[in-house]
Amino acid sequence: MATPSTPAGATTQTEGGTRGKLNKVVLAYSGGLDTSVIVPWLRENYGCEVVCFTADVGQGVGETEGLEAKAKASGASELVIADLREEFVRDYIFPCLRAGAVYERKYLLGTSMARPIIAKAMVDVAKACGADAVSHGCTGKGNDQVRFELTFFALNPKLAVVAPWREWDIKGREDAIEYAKKHNVPVVATKASIYSRDRNLWHISHEGDILEDPANEPAKDMFMMSVDPEDAPNTPEYLTIQIEKGLPVGFNGKKLSPATLLEELNEIGGKHGIGRIDMVENRLVGMKSRGVYETPGGTILASACRELEALTLDRESMQMKDMLALKYAELVYAGRWFDPLRESMDAFMEKMTETTTGEVTLKLYKGSVNVASRSSPNSLYRQDISSFEEGSGIYDQADAAGFIRLYGLPTRVRAMHEHGL
Amino acid sequence: MATTLAQSMACPKAVVVQAGVSLSESRCTTAICGASTNRMWGTSLSMTPAVSGLRKVSQAKGIRAAIGSVDVKTTEETKGGIRGKLNKVVLAYSGGLDTSVIVPWLRENYGCEVVCFTADVGQGVGETEGLEAKAKASGASELVIADLREEFVRDYIFPCLRAGAVYERKYLLGTSMARPIIAKAMVDVAKACGADAVSHGCTGKGNDQVRFELTFFALNPKLAVVAPWREWDIKGREDAIEYAKKHNVPVVATKKSIYSRDRNLWHISHEGDILEDPANEPAKDMFVMSVDPEDAPDTPEYLTIQIEKGLPVGFNGKKLSPATLLEELNEIGGKHGIGRIDMVENRLVGMKSRGVYETPGGTILTSACRELEALTLDRESMQMKDMLALKYAELVYAGRWFDPLRESMDAFMEKMTETTTGEVTLKLYKGSVNVASRSSPNSLYRQDISSFEEGSGIYDQADAAGFIRLYGLPTRVRAMQQHGL
Repeated sequence: MATPSTPAGATTQTEGGTRGKLNKVVLAYSGGLDTSVIVPWLRENYGCEVVCFTADVGQGVGETEGLEAKAKASGASELVIADLREEFVRDYIFPCLRAGAVYERKYLLGTSMARPIIAKAMVDVAKACGADAVSHGCTGKGNDQVRFELTFFALNPKLAVVAPWREWDIKGREDAIEYAKKHNVPVVATKASIYSRDRNLWHISHEGDILEDPANEPAKDMFMMSVDPEDAPNTPEYLTIQIEKGLPVGFNGKKLSPATLLEELNEIGGKHGIGRIDMVENRLVGMKSRGVYETPGGTILASACRELEALTLDRESMQMKDMLALKYAELVYAGRWFDPLRESMDAFMEKMTETTTGEVTLKLYKGSVNVASRSSPNSLYRQDISSFEEGSGIYDQADAAGFIRLYGLPTRVRAMHEHGL
Repeated sequence: MATTLAQSMACPKAVVVQAGVSLSESRCTTAICGASTNRMWGTSLSMTPAVSGLRKVSQAKGIRAAIGSVDVKTTEETKGGIRGKLNKVVLAYSGGLDTSVIVPWLRENYGCEVVCFTADVGQGVGETEGLEAKAKASGASELVIADLREEFVRDYIFPCLRAGAVYERKYLLGTSMARPIIAKAMVDVAKACGADAVSHGCTGKGNDQVRFELTFFALNPKLAVVAPWREWDIKGREDAIEYAKKHNVPVVATKKSIYSRDRNLWHISHEGDILEDPANEPAKDMFVMSVDPEDAPDTPEYLTIQIEKGLPVGFNGKKLSPATLLEELNEIGGKHGIGRIDMVENRLVGMKSRGVYETPGGTILTSACRELEALTLDRESMQMKDMLALKYAELVYAGRWFDPLRESMDAFMEKMTETTTGEVTLKLYKGSVNVASRSSPNSLYRQDISSFEEGSGIYDQADAAGFIRLYGLPTRVRAMQQHGL
């Protein structure tokens, strides 16, 4: 991790820029065309020093050295890189997994969970290097701008927030390339993907191009983290996930760190074509959008956690948990991570899954995950009660008569009223 | 006597009973039937022209009474039985060992006449004639058979499908939805033939006893309800066979399945045997409605489901009746290994149980309906709908069908899915259903707004700044308070 130092080479501009004056801005930097152009744009418009920040959340950061040179060539005074992978999985992904948070039936929140940790790290960097502002390269049309900025507000409301996409005149790739040239920013002549993607340890998302018509099936060559189920192995693979207190701790008997566990399950899941979803979703900013997501390891883990809960949670608990999970997903999708409601729900979820310890064996085959076996030392399932064979005497069939008469009493009273009795 | 009775019963569900049996007062005028029907179903269904039309047809063909000849053995027993006295009991009859034994048991214990009732809800009724003879050989005075398949799918399954009701993440409620319609038909038969009691062969350990009896309570609280399993000493198959022999009930020496199953047009369930340990994977040869995904075709199959106002109306351009649509999709889905689920569930009667379910056509329809809603429902609507769906599933699972809460939710669901019309193309492959395409004339998705290309001007990116500042104001205020600002 490159620690933020006092940038010797960067010039401090005391005069303002075109739009105002800021001293030092921490910019979420990816090395791509957009964020490379934002560096000179910030300096020109706000007369500020720019500190680039790159978080490794498993998107494939590439060459770190190359990135720093690139950032400086754009005009940044320094590049700070933070490896946030373990923290990302442990403190952001795992709580969502435990809660069973799924947005609008399908979305496993890959991008939603990543923005808060990146934004938080930016706030920390800003504090460490004395910056008075933060900036991001999110467009004004998406959810991510909201997720970044809600986190900025929650953690340091004094920071100014600059969102170039909402202010500048750059309309697309052509304008951006032109602006880069004008400001002597080296632009690598890579062909931009026709898709807009976001990738991290949990998932990759695809939007744009032919996906913009929900009547179109995705192209086979678009996918990146998983093989086509038709090309997946013809032999199913079984694996056993170990879970402790609602969170996965390893598989096939190996205990693994959160990030390592996810990485390995991504590989196995990807090989079997697990975790592809295609959806039209309601964005927070008001429109519907269509996206395709690949969440191989996460889909395996979600299946395992839900399956084990079937042994350890009673009826009322599961009911309430699943109702809260809907709300939890809404919060996370909207970027309301640093929020007392999300935090309170986590307290609920942590308590609720205290006994959810055990293992689940899953069968992976041609894009499907199915349960093959589950066990828990805290299982509330008792064969001696549910079995068709005569049981332990805990359950007396005659009791059911009284139960039904009382459980059905409101029904009977209403019916009696309707029948004039 | 019989014909006079039939004529006075304007209800099309009138059952012609054999002469010689004196009937207690039976009031079955159209007015009463019509009124109670409306109360049960609310105005929602009756106001939908297509549905009410179909319902009339269904009612006319609803109950086909198996008219029995006068059976000298079925003498009216005026003396009571061991446990009490009932006049006439309508028994939910399957022809299996259990319900065959219940017939003599009821007569012996309650000194009553037994009218057997069999509902066809797609379980595979088999030979109707054989069933009647079997019922009578057990001592029943008659067998009434009702073909309820269309009504089952249209009035019970489709509302649940529309609501998106899934119990405990996985269960598509196949058995839960069937019990109310069977029980309701039994209440109607009881009314028509003047029975004072109803009986079922559900054990005292399951959900079905609750589902049957809640329906009995809701529709006619005056009926006595007899649940032999909760009362008798018969502990299992051996006892049952012995009892049958003692009472001259013919028992067919078929090998009993090691699994306990329930089947209808929507699904088949499997419980028992090795499934009783949740650590055991189901055996490959247990499944009935679907092939193993590994044996499913290597080539995916695409099919397009047509949906109108939240309910499926056909596929691949063919409009089909509800039951026919489901039957055909069961076949296609079964061929591709679609719809297998394995779960440990919380029963209403308090214990956890493990069951495996096959719902091939239903899984396809569920996928299609949810997918189309993504085009037609806005954010807040989908949120609330999905929250209510959880509760809806709880109600249906518990047998609370004839319940104002379920009915009110149906009114909500009907309104909510008014615009959910269009088609969804699905890809079936090796046990999976995935969306390939969706379209709707009422789609709220606009490419000119969400596209990365410059759009129609409806969406101005600069607006987002104001939106975020206001949407985030509570967050900022709280943070300012924390920072002492």
